[in-house]
Amino acid sequence: MKGFSVLLHKEWREQVRNFKLLWIPLVFIIFGIIEPVTNHFLPQIMKSVGNMPDGMDFPWPEFAPKEILVSLMGQYQSIGLLIIVLAFMGAISSERKNGTATLLYVRPISYASYFLSKWTMINILVLASVWVGFLAGWYYTAQLFGSIPAADVFAFLAAYSLWIIFVVSIVLALSAWLPTGGVAALGLFLTLIMAILDSVIGAYWTVTPWKISTYASYILMGSMDYPTFWKAAGLTVFLIILLVLFGSYMSGRNAAKTTV
Amino acid sequence: MAELANIPWNLILPILGLQLILMIVALIDLIRNQRTNGPFIMWIFIILLLNLVGPILYFIFGRRQA
Repeated sequence: MKGFSVLLHKEWREQVRNFKLLWIPLVFIIFGIIEPVTNHFLPQIMKSVGNMPDGMDFPWPEFAPKEILVSLMGQYQSIGLLIIVLAFMGAISSERKNGTATLLYVRPISYASYFLSKWTMINILVLASVWVGFLAGWYYTAQLFGSIPAADVFAFLAAYSLWIIFVVSIVLALSAWLPTGGVAALGLFLTLIMAILDSVIGAYWTVTPWKISTYASYILMGSMDYPTFWKAAGLTVFLIILLVLFGSYMSGRNAAKTTV
Repeated sequence: MAELANIPWNLILPILGLQLILMIVALIDLIRNQRTNGPFIMWIFIILLLNLVGPILYFIFGRRQA
């Protein structure tokens, strides 16, 4: 692990300088606030812009506080994942393309510590954003709908964090392997599309990483069958380790493709 | 004006404030950086006119990582 802390420092500085440290948490917080607020004012919004006929009485569903957090998770599962994949697709591949990598590869660093420094820093950034977003959503839900027990929220966040780490590992491993365009295509397929496919056709296949987010919502609702969850979580951790190993190997193998 | 007073500003203001911060950060970065993918002026309009989405688009696609 030669130079890991130095590389971690470099990653930190990069996230500060390209403003990712600022805008990614901000975007997640904004979504976290918008979700409970729009749900709370949905009847009024529909009344003023929904073009409903006079005298029509639409029975609005009464949202339980926990359902708001689940629908916020739905937002993060689409827009959030899109942002994570697109923001970090070039983490390694564009460093190769624009020549930054040349400055690194001429030094005696190990590719494992190179890859792991990126993996650690991006995971910290993305997890912090997701957590802050959910905490903002939780606060607004508590104000507008009713409180949710903290233990449930944190168990939910812990389970959801595992899925986020899996997503970041996929993006970085792909970024070490493919050029940026390929990372975007395959990364979006493996996260967004697979999560949808898995929920549509994989109903009987319970042990998969793509169901972790659904399981996280079950944990929040208190209806999770824990043996299944631990199996799926175990598989996810195993896949994360494989992806990290693959990424470290690939960033070494593709070092020759660096633009000098 | 009565309708304006009815809007629950204490709920809406944090969202507007955060969007404004995001927009200002994107604009500062754009003006300081000058180099973008695509025309500079186009990105100014995208950031200013597309609420929330504009700054995200700029940070992801418009910003040239140097």
